[in-house]
Amino acid sequence: MATFFRLRIVRDLGIALIVVFGAGSIAMLLAHVSPVDGFYALFDGAFGTTSEFAETLVSATALLFPALGVALAFRAGLFNIGAEGQLVLGGLAAGVTGVLLPGPPVVSIVATLLAGALAGGLWGGIAGFLKSRFGANEVIATLMLNVIAGLLATYAVDGPLHFASANEGETPLLAKTAWLPAIVPDTRLTISIVIALLLALVLWFAFNRTVFGFELRAAGGAPEAARRAGVDLRRIALQAMTYSGAIAGLGGATLVTGVLHRFNTGLSPGYGFVAIAVALVGNLEPVWIAVAAFAFGILQNGALSMQAEASVPRDVVNVIEGLVIIALAGRRYIAAQRTT
Amino acid sequence: MNAFLIALIAIAGLTLVKATPLIFAALGGVLSERSGVVNVGLEGIMIGGAFAAVGVSGATGSPWLGASAGVLAGALLAALLAFVATKLGYDQIVAGTGLNIAALGAAAFGLVLVFGQPGASREVPAFGAVGETALTVLALALAAALSLFLNRTPWGLRVRACGENPRAAAAAGIDPVRTRFWAVVAGGAIAALGGVFLSLAELDLYSDGMTAGRGFIALAAVIFGRWTPFGATGAALFFGFFSALQYTLQRAGIPSELMQALPYLAALVALAGLAGRVRAPASDGLPYAGTPVRPSSGMTHASSAEWPRDRP
Repeated sequence: MATFFRLRIVRDLGIALIVVFGAGSIAMLLAHVSPVDGFYALFDGAFGTTSEFAETLVSATALLFPALGVALAFRAGLFNIGAEGQLVLGGLAAGVTGVLLPGPPVVSIVATLLAGALAGGLWGGIAGFLKSRFGANEVIATLMLNVIAGLLATYAVDGPLHFASANEGETPLLAKTAWLPAIVPDTRLTISIVIALLLALVLWFAFNRTVFGFELRAAGGAPEAARRAGVDLRRIALQAMTYSGAIAGLGGATLVTGVLHRFNTGLSPGYGFVAIAVALVGNLEPVWIAVAAFAFGILQNGALSMQAEASVPRDVVNVIEGLVIIALAGRRYIAAQRTT
Repeated sequence: MNAFLIALIAIAGLTLVKATPLIFAALGGVLSERSGVVNVGLEGIMIGGAFAAVGVSGATGSPWLGASAGVLAGALLAALLAFVATKLGYDQIVAGTGLNIAALGAAAFGLVLVFGQPGASREVPAFGAVGETALTVLALALAAALSLFLNRTPWGLRVRACGENPRAAAAAGIDPVRTRFWAVVAGGAIAALGGVFLSLAELDLYSDGMTAGRGFIALAAVIFGRWTPFGATGAALFFGFFSALQYTLQRAGIPSELMQALPYLAALVALAGLAGRVRAPASDGLPYAGTPVRPSSGMTHASSAEWPRDRP
């Protein structure tokens, strides 16, 4: 079984690569750019210099958090499309906490990150609550909550949570004590990548070696069987959506404390949606998701230089990501056939 | 009293304007879901319709050609979803989400290619206020037509059969894959009219994000309207009313973001209040490929049957 699983991963990565290069080439030709030049600019922008490579890892980290969150909910059979809103509100909570509660370095960082995770968890938990209490469809609930989260964040930073020293649509800069320390000097690559990778390991353990992980898989793979075997589907729905949102919210918080150093309503260029593609390509397996996040980080960051150097609008990357999701929609998501 | 009456009429008119794109999208959703395919890609289809309409109207100078192109674009996007969802039996919700992302990206990309600028197109020949009214009437007429089609014609019966029990339909000689495919494509064409309304009737240009989640509200309207054309239209009017209200209440000093959130909040509450009380077509969301495959992810409306509500 293990061999089959690996082969499937390889096949899916193959499909994803074909879509990326096929659709990318077509789009570049439409823009009257040679695909060779276009992809050269893309990869050069992703790997060309130390700082560019660091930015690629920054993008990968930004995707890894919400992708891990999405994967957790997916495993329980809950289609959390709300990572975007959860991430934005996590960022808002972190930004406000960082400004209001400056403290000693470690305390300040922990407080802002926790605030982000709490806010994201709360937002995800709303959808989980509606699902478990009323049976409300989580797909539509999270789609609504995304829109509401965006409006709420804009209202908050320009309204009750507006600081006199801040521009419209953002909080002031956080106190330096709340900044995540950089790993590579003079880049935006901070220890958030370490946190994300550790989280991936923790989730790998939780998914594969704990009762909760088994319950998630059972609820997602065969809900009726799980229910008869005594798994409380309502509890699982509430927990899975809350944890899923908390992880996405933590990701939003690391964007604030590590990358922007303030909350801005334009915090996320759709990380929460791309995360769905990342989670699917990574087959809902945390370790593979980390690999997929790196690949999508290349696309995300390389797109900027592709636009600047080769004049290919960077929105091509969104088209590619959407097509990758469609191409991989055929798989059974739950790794129920794994016997390990 | 007179001023009050005028305000009332203004809100009623604005409600119709705000509801029209929702009605088109929701009717497209109803047709698709009654055949058994949940179309989460309505938002992307509206985007595709809105952009293609502006692109072609700008190039040819004819809003009529533009509108036709918008409908065609919606049908083509829906055909992509229909192909993977019916012929390949892929997960409908995942594929629909991908369609939304791809369509938004494609429109932004097309904006730069066709109009040479990001963000928004230039102004193009559009229908104006007359077209606005005409499209609103068309939306209401389509609701009646779709209701007749689904309930009073043999083709409508076939569509519904595929949504309720595709295996039984197949046994009766109906090809569920083909029926679902064309229902989704036709639904996409109808939903795209909602995008055309936004870009060529309410406005005369395309701008990024102009659909602003209306495709998602339409999905809620389908459920709220219990999967019937008139019900969905009523729900769309209800959500349209909340959108119209925001312009009136905004003047009363209530923050605009909170007012903009109103229809989404209303949809959320409606979703929770109605869940379990309404019944989706029995095979809605379940892929059919010879035999219906229950998706492992259990992400469908149908699976919500497993979520009993505990109401005192």
